[in-house]
This record gives sequence, structure tokens and C-alpha cells, in this order.
Amino acid sequence: MISASSDPIAPSIAPGLPAIQVRDVDFCYGSTRVLKDITLDVPNNEVVAFIGPSGCGKTTLLRCFNRMCDLVPDARVTKGEIIIEGANIADRSIDPVQLRRHVGMVFQKSNPFPRSIYENVAYGPRTLGEKRVSVLDEVVERSLRRAVLWDEVKDRLHDMATGLSGGQQQRLCIARTMAVDPEIILMDEPCSALDPIATAYVEDLILELKEHYTIVIVTHNMQQASRVSDRTAFFYLGELVEFAETRQMFENPANQRTEDYLTGRFG
Amino acid sequence: MQQHILKDFDHAMNTLRGEVLTMAGLARLNLERAMQALFERNLELANAVIADDNEVDELERRVDQLGMDVLVRFHPVATDLRMVVTSMKISMNLERISDHAVNISKRARKLCATTVLPDVNLLEPLYTLADHLLRDAISAFSDRNAVLGESLHARDKELDRLHRDATATFGSRIEESGRSQEYLHLILIVRSLERLGDMASNIGENAVFLDAARDIRHDPARKIKRPTEG
Repeated sequence: MISASSDPIAPSIAPGLPAIQVRDVDFCYGSTRVLKDITLDVPNNEVVAFIGPSGCGKTTLLRCFNRMCDLVPDARVTKGEIIIEGANIADRSIDPVQLRRHVGMVFQKSNPFPRSIYENVAYGPRTLGEKRVSVLDEVVERSLRRAVLWDEVKDRLHDMATGLSGGQQQRLCIARTMAVDPEIILMDEPCSALDPIATAYVEDLILELKEHYTIVIVTHNMQQASRVSDRTAFFYLGELVEFAETRQMFENPANQRTEDYLTGRFG
Repeated sequence: MQQHILKDFDHAMNTLRGEVLTMAGLARLNLERAMQALFERNLELANAVIADDNEVDELERRVDQLGMDVLVRFHPVATDLRMVVTSMKISMNLERISDHAVNISKRARKLCATTVLPDVNLLEPLYTLADHLLRDAISAFSDRNAVLGESLHARDKELDRLHRDATATFGSRIEESGRSQEYLHLILIVRSLERLGDMASNIGENAVFLDAARDIRHDPARKIKRPTEG
């Protein structure tokens, strides 16, 4: 359970409960309300895609899930609750560092540390106090295997991570996220800087990771949303317009604004 | 419908829809001329239908090319995706309808070479119903009218009944009249008309999918029992 106190061993999210429950959330930058009355459930072990035009609030909501929004001055949840593992993580008493152990994040641009491949993955567990080499070795291998990168780097674990290709660097960042064993992985346009082949590797990885993690992905690529996600949420001007099973949304959206956006007839 | 941001996309979709409607018009015209050739013993008209079938075949290829082109270039979704998929499926049905018109024309040619067979006129109500089904199927697609599209299945059952009656009548005439060859032609023309009704019903199902995103094919709830069935 995520709590204000020191973190116990990370428990799994209770079976049958949504991984993330968003209840009537408003979010403001200063006096500007950028999310309005958002309510949605992210089911456990599913991939949920957030789509919508730039400025619609999808990345803001994603960043609320691990309190990355705290980094922006004057930005805050002004109403509602975001419940993860039974705790309202919008509550300021929740320690964001502890929260981020449970809710990892992969960014638009891969951002490996200027260290070795091994050190990049071992960084998280080390920060959490793990010193045993055998345990770190095991975590590094397991994380790289889950990120489907192990076979490509196992013979050069101590080479600089920055020497990897863009696609490999992004998968390394995913491995680094997984090394602290989160329950939820947030992805903010994880393939926008990748070529089609690297994108395919990451998409394939997302589908594999679903078995172990709940994933929320922000993407501007409609085909990517339709390929990798189980459910899709469409946002517009800070409102959640439609949240439905992806297949349903892409074949027969219920809302005209969703249909207009998906079919390119927006605005 | 609101304009697409990409004008080229709107152009491609309008072209696709236009080609399907052109094809539908031609297929229906071919059927009309085939039946006219049969009723009026017009050999020239029967030959024209057979010759003009190439045009429908060419349109089927074009609709497939246009559909593939839209899929590859624009990755359509929602109503646009349904339009592409249904256009390609409807064009296949239209091509087969035109093939049946050709079959009818070929049989009309053979019947022209024999003495007048008055029972040919018994085909009139079957043709009228088949033509109305086809007309309404095309309208259901063109106007995105799911209600009209869904109605075709039940109306096709009336054509099935006429088909059974006509086949029984012509079957009994084979023995009575001593003109077995000619009556066999009529039985096979009746079968073509019955198949046309099935294809019109298929087009109606596609129109329902286009308009309402519902797949009503093989839906057991739509099964209409014959009077003889328990």
C-alpha cells in the first residue's frame, strides 16, 4: 500500500480492482483549469491509450499518476481523487518518490544516464538500498530480458548506454523503469522519436509487458493506439469525451467529436 | 459530412463511393436489359448485355484498387473504414449480379432461337421483385439507411417463395409440354433471379454495417420460418 510513511514491500494491486481510479478530477496550472471532472478506471493488466489533440490534457493526467506535475510551480489537483493501491495519490501527504517506485515512467525521448548499460538498470535498486551484487545482477538480467534487450546487450553490459541505437535506448529506459518493480508503467509518446522498426519492437514489448504491468500510454499515433491498447480515452479541451474499448472506439465511436477526431475531420 | 483535413482523402472516398454507385447502376441496367431481351426476344440486346459485362468487371477491379489505396495511404477508421470495407464487398456482389444478367442473356439468346414460349411471362413478378430489392439495396448503401437495408432480408423470403412456385410450375411443364430444354432454361433463369435477391440482401446487410456498425449476417434472430416448418 502506498502510504505517507516509509514504503513497505510493494504489494500487488488487489485482483479485480482497477489499477488506477480517477474520480471527478480537476487540475489547474495557476488559475487555468486544464482537466475538468475527469472520471475513469484503468483496469489492471491492461493497456490504456490516451489520445487527443495537443493541449487537451492527456499528458497532464498521465503526469498526475506519478505526481510529475508537482515539478511545475502552481500546478495541482484542485478537485477529486486519484486512487492507486487504495491511496489517494493526489493527496500532498503521499511521498512522490515512494509513489514513483510503484508508478514508473518512460518519456518521449529516451534519456539513459551517461553510464554503462548495467548501471542504468541497476540505478533504481541501488538507490533503494540494494547493495548485493548477485541481486543486482539478477535484477539487471530480468529487466533487460523483459525489455527484450538482453540478447542484444548481454555481451556488452559495461559499455556506455549512450552508444546504443535510439530504439535500444528506449527499451533500456523501459528496463530501467521495470528494475524497481512497479505495478504501473506510464509512457509519454514512447515511440515518437523512433523509426518504424524500433517502434515495432517497443509496441511488441508493450503487448508482452501487459502480462505483468498496467500500462497507460499517451500517443499521437492513432494506429499505435489501435494496435497496442485495450481501451482508449479521447480528451478534448481538458474533458474526457469518450472512454471505451479500443476496437469499439475505432470501429464505431459513440461520440461525434471522437469520430471527427479519429477520421481527421476535426476543427 | 464535415470535410476531411486532407482534401485528397475526401476525393479518394468520394471517388470510391461514386464508382460503386456507377457499378450498381450498370449492374441493374444489365439485368433490366437481359430481362427485356428475354421478354421481347431481342437477340441484339442480349448480345449487348454479354459484351457490356466487361465494364462491370473493370469497375470491380477499380473499386478494389481504390479501396486498397485508401487503406494503405490513409488508414481510415470508424465510418470511413466501414465505407471502404463495405464498398469492396458490395462491388463483389454487384459483379456477380452482372454475371447473372449475362447468364440470363445467354439463355434469352437460346430461347430466341425457338418458337415463342408464353410461360416466359410468368417470370415478370419475380423480376419485378428482384429489381426492387436491388434498387432498395443500392439506396440503403447510398443513403446509409440501415432500416431499409435490414428490411431486405425478409422481403427476399417472398422472392424465395416465388422461386419455389415457379420452379414447381416449370418442372411440371417439362413433362407435359415436351419442350424440356426451354423450360430448363426458364428454371435456371428463375434461379438466377433468386440468387439476385440473396445478393441484394447481402448488400442490405453491408448497408446496415456501414450505417449502424452492426453485423447482422447469420443472425439467428432474423431467421424467418417457412409455413411448413414447425
